[in-house]
Amino acid sequence: MNDMMQAFILLLAGFLVVFTVLILLIVTVTLYSKIIRSMQDAGNKKKKAVSEKTDEDVKHQEVRSLSREEIEDNDDNIPGEVIAVIAAAVDAYYGEKPHRIKAVKRERSARSAWARAGAMQNTRPF
Amino acid sequence: MDILTQLWQIICHLLEESGFSKLSWENYVMVGISFVLMYLAIKKQFEPLLLLPIAFGMCLVNLFPGIMGLPTTEMLTEAEMLAKHLDPSTYTTTVYNGVTYYNHTEYGGLFYYLYQGVKLGIYPPLIFLGIGCMTDFGPLIANPKSFILGAAAQIGIFLTFIIATALGIFTPSEAASIAIIGGADGPTAIFVTTKLAPQLLGPIAVAAYSYMALVPIIQPPIMRALTTKKERSIVMGQLRPVSKLERILFPIIVVVLVAILLPDAAPLVGMLMLGNLFKESGVVDRINKTAQNELMNIITIFLGVTVGATATGKVFLTLQTAGIIALGLFAFCLATACGVLFGKLMCFFTHGKVNPLIGSAGVSAVPMAARISQKVGQEENPGNFLLMHAMGPNVAGVIGSAVAAGVLLSVIKPG
Repeated sequence: MNDMMQAFILLLAGFLVVFTVLILLIVTVTLYSKIIRSMQDAGNKKKKAVSEKTDEDVKHQEVRSLSREEIEDNDDNIPGEVIAVIAAAVDAYYGEKPHRIKAVKRERSARSAWARAGAMQNTRPF
Repeated sequence: MDILTQLWQIICHLLEESGFSKLSWENYVMVGISFVLMYLAIKKQFEPLLLLPIAFGMCLVNLFPGIMGLPTTEMLTEAEMLAKHLDPSTYTTTVYNGVTYYNHTEYGGLFYYLYQGVKLGIYPPLIFLGIGCMTDFGPLIANPKSFILGAAAQIGIFLTFIIATALGIFTPSEAASIAIIGGADGPTAIFVTTKLAPQLLGPIAVAAYSYMALVPIIQPPIMRALTTKKERSIVMGQLRPVSKLERILFPIIVVVLVAILLPDAAPLVGMLMLGNLFKESGVVDRINKTAQNELMNIITIFLGVTVGATATGKVFLTLQTAGIIALGLFAFCLATACGVLFGKLMCFFTHGKVNPLIGSAGVSAVPMAARISQKVGQEENPGNFLLMHAMGPNVAGVIGSAVAAGVLLSVIKPG
């Protein structure tokens, strides 16, 4: 009889604790989800406003075609074809978003690409 | 003639040492049962990752009980030590009745040492770590109400506890260990049983994993019996996408809440959430892969064979074991029914937006129980996809059963 009484009390306590903990989790998850989403929405709105503004800026800018001589007249002597390919890649990446290439510069690195890849592989944290 | 006598003596000695003279009929029955389990694992593919090592461990221990043998210490005199070609100076001594004895330790069997991980409650939390790495809590975060279904399925545990206690053949700690089978969560069942009733570990573990393997057979009839055709056909709306930040914060928040409210559930929930944080953070890819592959596989092998090795003939073939298996089935069916009934309740309150079939996934058995919800739902409406909706209650069930285990461990004292 004592065991049964204990079992019955445990039954009630078990229901209560399991449901309380899980309901608490429902409330917490719902709340923090709402907070995060509202924060992210606010962030997105800000970004959208900035992007609209940039869009307007670009629209108001004068669009002018450069001649081949103008393009190839750079400090690094990068061929016009290479600059055209880089510009096309940037355009493909940004798509509809407003964008502008200000400069194309040759990267000067003491290490070759292979050496840099090796260094990155070896120094990647555990 | 002397040669023949000696040959006969050697053969007799070998026969005396062999299993033929040392094993009882119970051992042979258990070997037969292990063959059936191996068949189910290999041919029917019922949870083969666990059932196969369990069955093989069961087979091995019944053929060679010494594999689970405890380490022993023998007290030998100096003469006996020398006869065994042992160096007495390297052994500790005990002086008894004026005679000096050397303590010669015989090591235990292989499974005895592997079993320490089960006995000390190390393997189940490590399995939970691996499960955490593999679990996507996204559906649960997108629809937190699923937690209710995970809680509802735990009712089966507590109702079975009452019934097992009322039968009078089990102590409260044994009844609690049997009832936890209703959570359909093998590691949780082992974790609770090792702490409350370690003597029942074999039958309880085998019952828990067998029922998990039999989810596709046990659950559908209960789900169909408790729901109408119209309810089973309900199509649920698409879940919202969950951001990375929400996913990262989830394990941290859950572990803080559960560990504070229910410290006894902390080892299981803590490791589950650590694994999930490895996955969601995306910065420890190597650890994440190790935890869900190599570590999980190694622990599964150790857990499987040693749990199987606890099922020796003399322990397993008793009326008590039959009672455990029957009560375990009852607990599992009850948990499924409670989940579905709560699903119906949610369906009623949401004006038919929730398909009650997802309630049955509230028993853990990830992801099998969720797949069954999907399968039964598609039988009525082939265009209905309940899987992601059922994954919410399913992973909530894992947390729920760990919480229920915490309640049992904190209230009931072993004995």
